[in-house]
Amino acid sequence: MSGDAPPQPSFRDPAGCCLLFNQRVLRFVAADAVAEFEKFLQTGCARQFVAARQLASTRRLMETEAAPLRETPELRTIFEAQPAGAIFEHERIPFPSYPHEWPPEMLRAAGRLTLGLARAALAEGYGLKDATPRNILFRGSEPVFIDALSFERRNPADPIWLPEAQFVRAFLLPLLANRRQGLSLAEIFTTHPDGLEPEEVYRLCGPLEKFTPRILSLVSIPTWLSRNSRPDNANIYKPRLLADPEKAQFILASLFNRLERHLQSLTPASGKESTWLDYMVTHSYNDPAFAAKEKFVREALREFSPARVLDAGANTGHFSVLAAEAGAEVVAVDSDAACVDAIWRRAREKNLNILPLVVNLAQPSPALGWRNAECPSFLDRATGRFDGVLMLALVHHLLVTERIPLEEILRLAYEVTNSLLVIEFVEPQDDMFRRLTRGRESLHASLNMAVFERACAAHFEIVRSLALPGTSRRMYCLKRKPGAG
Amino acid sequence: MTSLAYIDPGLGALIWQTAVAAFVGFLFYLKKTRDWIVGTILKIFGREQKPVTPVTPKISAAEVETKNDER
Repeated sequence: MSGDAPPQPSFRDPAGCCLLFNQRVLRFVAADAVAEFEKFLQTGCARQFVAARQLASTRRLMETEAAPLRETPELRTIFEAQPAGAIFEHERIPFPSYPHEWPPEMLRAAGRLTLGLARAALAEGYGLKDATPRNILFRGSEPVFIDALSFERRNPADPIWLPEAQFVRAFLLPLLANRRQGLSLAEIFTTHPDGLEPEEVYRLCGPLEKFTPRILSLVSIPTWLSRNSRPDNANIYKPRLLADPEKAQFILASLFNRLERHLQSLTPASGKESTWLDYMVTHSYNDPAFAAKEKFVREALREFSPARVLDAGANTGHFSVLAAEAGAEVVAVDSDAACVDAIWRRAREKNLNILPLVVNLAQPSPALGWRNAECPSFLDRATGRFDGVLMLALVHHLLVTERIPLEEILRLAYEVTNSLLVIEFVEPQDDMFRRLTRGRESLHASLNMAVFERACAAHFEIVRSLALPGTSRRMYCLKRKPGAG
Repeated sequence: MTSLAYIDPGLGALIWQTAVAAFVGFLFYLKKTRDWIVGTILKIFGREQKPVTPVTPKISAAEVETKNDER
């Protein structure tokens, strides 16, 4: 749902489809689902969800607004393929993100919201027909449910919540595999968009582990039952309605309690395996150097007042917080999930407009899904979307560890920002630089300040620079040269 | 009421959910029986039974304002 590519409608839900067109999020709802959808939008719970900013706001387009859209050549084919009863427009969430870019705490928050909405809607006779993290985007650090069409009227006598298996696959088992087996959410969701099957997690568990209470209930028993059942037995899928709706509600409430308890207990691992979580304590700056760096960044933010900032290599988000406090909407990316978890917790605590994502700039998230069009790549979403980019203590990691040429790094920054780039140059003599080169100093022997400045000048104007006292590092405030690509 | 649920409900997971639902349904009757016994005993001794599941009273925003004004 981003970028200016030809509109790609979603297609899984038979009740309608959603697409991004001219920076507007439009939803076409099939004729037989319109009345029900509108009824849901009028319910107390839907209004409450929108007021609490938990559900993206939605309005039906008047015929005068819808008619020109129906005639638009790019949309006409979509209308023909999908007999649309009505067109709705959703509020647009500034920067779409996907589960393969979230740290575990964000997946947990998305799961909590999904269960919370499903439970609250039950009181008004509605339920969710799916339970996927793809229904959630983050507005800053706050999860927002974006698929209002997922709500459908439930039969009050039905004690079964069909999406339970999907909730387990897409929320609980990835969190379990992350906590116990150390699998990252990127590893899981880039290859398993709908999460992990119990059978897949079962194979990863040790013989005794399979009998621990949580794994027994979420993984082992479903796997054994699945192995010993005939998959063509249609009776399994027949609705089982109870005579007493109160009993059905009691059973559903107990199911939601159970899922909530599982979600609550699946706290992410402590981050012991993280190399960078304690960087802000162990970094090599002396106090005056760090204070000078902070002052330099603050001044650049004050001077340029960027509305949208990308903090690349954000670590635990110290400078993302500065940017957010200066009024910017911040996307903070780092390849270390434990650091990104820490940014998310910090942003939630301080109510800051920061969207933290697990993204390695050297291997940014690829486009995924059918025809690579369901989840655009990180760079597709980021290109030209920011007014300011922070690249602090990052360039030497890309140069040395990832072997990315300096010109390429600056070219990427040029494509992502519309105006400001604050970048830190680290001389090859720096301790951290030498630690990263591991004896390959000769590869970077020609790199010095003059070379760096020449490379910057190809795309940017150097507004000012500052040597950080007592270090071999230098800060640069750069302004993008229009048409220098 | 036709459900447009299109997601894979699983196989083992659905059977397990159904089995747990049957067990919880049995607990529901136990709870009802317990509530009835407790209610009857309290009635005999002339006391009112506390509501087992406290429910937030559903009052509208207008009613809340009226109540605040009364105060």
